[in-house]
Amino acid sequence: MTSKIFARALLASCAFAGVAGGALAQEFDYGSFPDYTLRVKLIGGTQYEKLYTRIPEWEALTGAKVEIVSSKNHFELDREIKQDIAAGQINWCVGSNHTSFAPQYGSLYIDLAEHIPAEELAKYVQGTLEASRVDGRLVQLPRVTDVSNLYYRRDLYEDAAKQEAYKAEFGTDLAPPKTYDEFKQQVIFFADPPNLYGTAFAGKDEGMSGRFMEILRANGGDMFDENWNPIFNSPEGVAALQWFVDIYEAGAVPAGTVNYTWDDIGQAFAAGQLALDLDWPGFAGMYSDPAASTVAEHLGFAVAPVGTSGKSGAWSGSHSFSVTEACDNKEAAVSFAVFLTNDESELMEAQAGNLPTRTATFDQAAQWFVENDKPALAEMFTVFQQSLAEARTPPLVPEWIEVSNVLWPQLQAAIVGEKTAQEALDQAADEARIILEDAGRL
Amino acid sequence: MTTTTEPYSRPTTSEGITAFFRSQKAIPYLLLLPAILVILSVVLVPLLLSFWTSFTNYNLTKPDTLYNFIGLRNYQRLMGNAEFWWAFGRTFLFITIALNLEMLLGLGLALLVNKITWGQRTLRTIMMFPMMFSPILVGFQFKYIFNDSIGLVNNALFDLGLISQPIPWLVDGTLANFSIIFAEIWMSTSIFAILLLAGLMALPREPIEAAKVDGCNSWQVFRHITLPFLMPFVYIAMTIRSLDVARAYDMVRIMTNGGPAGRTELLWTLMTRTGYQNSQMGMANAMGYVSIILSIVFTFYFYRKLTAARTFMGGAQ
Repeated sequence: MTSKIFARALLASCAFAGVAGGALAQEFDYGSFPDYTLRVKLIGGTQYEKLYTRIPEWEALTGAKVEIVSSKNHFELDREIKQDIAAGQINWCVGSNHTSFAPQYGSLYIDLAEHIPAEELAKYVQGTLEASRVDGRLVQLPRVTDVSNLYYRRDLYEDAAKQEAYKAEFGTDLAPPKTYDEFKQQVIFFADPPNLYGTAFAGKDEGMSGRFMEILRANGGDMFDENWNPIFNSPEGVAALQWFVDIYEAGAVPAGTVNYTWDDIGQAFAAGQLALDLDWPGFAGMYSDPAASTVAEHLGFAVAPVGTSGKSGAWSGSHSFSVTEACDNKEAAVSFAVFLTNDESELMEAQAGNLPTRTATFDQAAQWFVENDKPALAEMFTVFQQSLAEARTPPLVPEWIEVSNVLWPQLQAAIVGEKTAQEALDQAADEARIILEDAGRL
Repeated sequence: MTTTTEPYSRPTTSEGITAFFRSQKAIPYLLLLPAILVILSVVLVPLLLSFWTSFTNYNLTKPDTLYNFIGLRNYQRLMGNAEFWWAFGRTFLFITIALNLEMLLGLGLALLVNKITWGQRTLRTIMMFPMMFSPILVGFQFKYIFNDSIGLVNNALFDLGLISQPIPWLVDGTLANFSIIFAEIWMSTSIFAILLLAGLMALPREPIEAAKVDGCNSWQVFRHITLPFLMPFVYIAMTIRSLDVARAYDMVRIMTNGGPAGRTELLWTLMTRTGYQNSQMGMANAMGYVSIILSIVFTFYFYRKLTAARTFMGGAQ
């Protein structure tokens, strides 16, 4: 499957980076488009908009003007783009995209590989670039990569009384968890509600499906077999769901976690209410900022735990930019997308704590963090980069979001005790089968 | 076949239409024509289009599927879809409870505000504040208020020593539905209050004074004079609100998005997920047309009640 290729390519790219660095110095030609106005639809939100401060630089470079015709959160933007497709009103050129969303849009976006020189594409992390393809077409240019990793409160792990109690109870030293079994053991150990919970997880929408998917894969299972039969109701899937059920029943997570999304978890961890948080790199900036986080001084980083198969199955995806087929000046649109993901743009993304998508940026960012007295983020980069090796995207098919929408309510049903894990997954698998049959995959 | 010669030549259809549009009779129709065209284009055409799509497997991201006629398949699937009927029943209950409580509380508020002689205008303005919030903001506000770990309600209960474990307001089936109804009532009670206050202010003083002279107490005056007079206002408010209550969608989406495990799933959250996230606009429109039954039932019921109340006011009884 594509996501396995992604993992291998990520590994290969890390090795490739050092060797190829010298040969990749050639500059991209951003072109000249005087008096042209480029219409774009971009994802909004504080963490995404800082990059847009570079737009005037592109305008000065090319002579073009940029008109942001829409700036919304990604779910609203997704809805708007689908309405544009339905109405046949694609009168814009560049749109924000995401690995999980891209397969839904059919032929809306061009194959960027036909418009960007290979030597420029070689500067991107190759695994991330591979995961940006849909049916072999490079429909998006990645701007930041998300991959799950662990944040933890160092003060709790360094507390002598807790170390002693943990050793007495489990016979091992208290250290950040390396397996999901340890993870479960520790979140239950730390939980002292209502003041402190072991962790919290995204309990609805794709967040819930994705968290389940990564433990399922870490246990050696998968969502579908090679013929697209749903197989997530396998013993590995039941064990993965039981993991959530167990920590929920033990009160190690807030009861409301089934309604939480990323921001809720971020706020809870920054407020010191969680001992551990399996989350995205984008939160590192906020967690390490003393003005926004009470845990800034005690912030620890660790790679995502592994499951019973010995792998982490770390869920990964990228935010990206795409260029529409209907664009009246594809050259300008491609130039804009490349500019917003070039080395300087990626450094800006990395400085905010995001994992960049250009190979050269990793070293530049690590150096910048050291020079600018941000040792926590320097450490985060070193640790989180390791998890890219086993990172995997959701299945890159248009039906993924639809399958996710029948899966997460069933996961919730098991977590809150309405069904057993097996019953919930069997029903979700039946519903997913209908979706895949309707789509002609089965 | 034989032909007969008519004494005069009958005008053709096109000549008839031309003559009609040149006559005086056409003026009202011509003047109304722009309005009719606008209504047709913004109401009727989308209605017909969405009705058509409910008989297709129209997928939002595949415009060609608009022409894939699949007959009643969407409706047949809906008939056997337990999730949909649970959402249907829950929406019916949600509307019934929310509207009745809003009406009672709105009536109480209106009666209280009507008694005030100083600062009533300021109070009326303050009363309208919740209406000014967008439902999304109300959703975020109550999601925070009812959050089990950092929410205001649980923190207050902890501080008062009333609970030792957090109450999962937005998780437990009963409490989650209570929470979204509570938020809806907070947002919309003032609409009832304002409409009923308008009714109270238009209330003639004479029958009330006459009743007091005849020895009626306050309850009797309210029960037999004020309330019957207000009933048309109540039913107008109920009708408007029953059609407008779907505004609560944004609020529910933010607070629970129909979860957990479908415990707060309403027709609106289910339809939006089906139509936009899953792109199955054909199925979502079929859901929409089945759920229109709800709107028709509520509207029909309130109009009948309104007519009855007006007849009563007109002295038929």
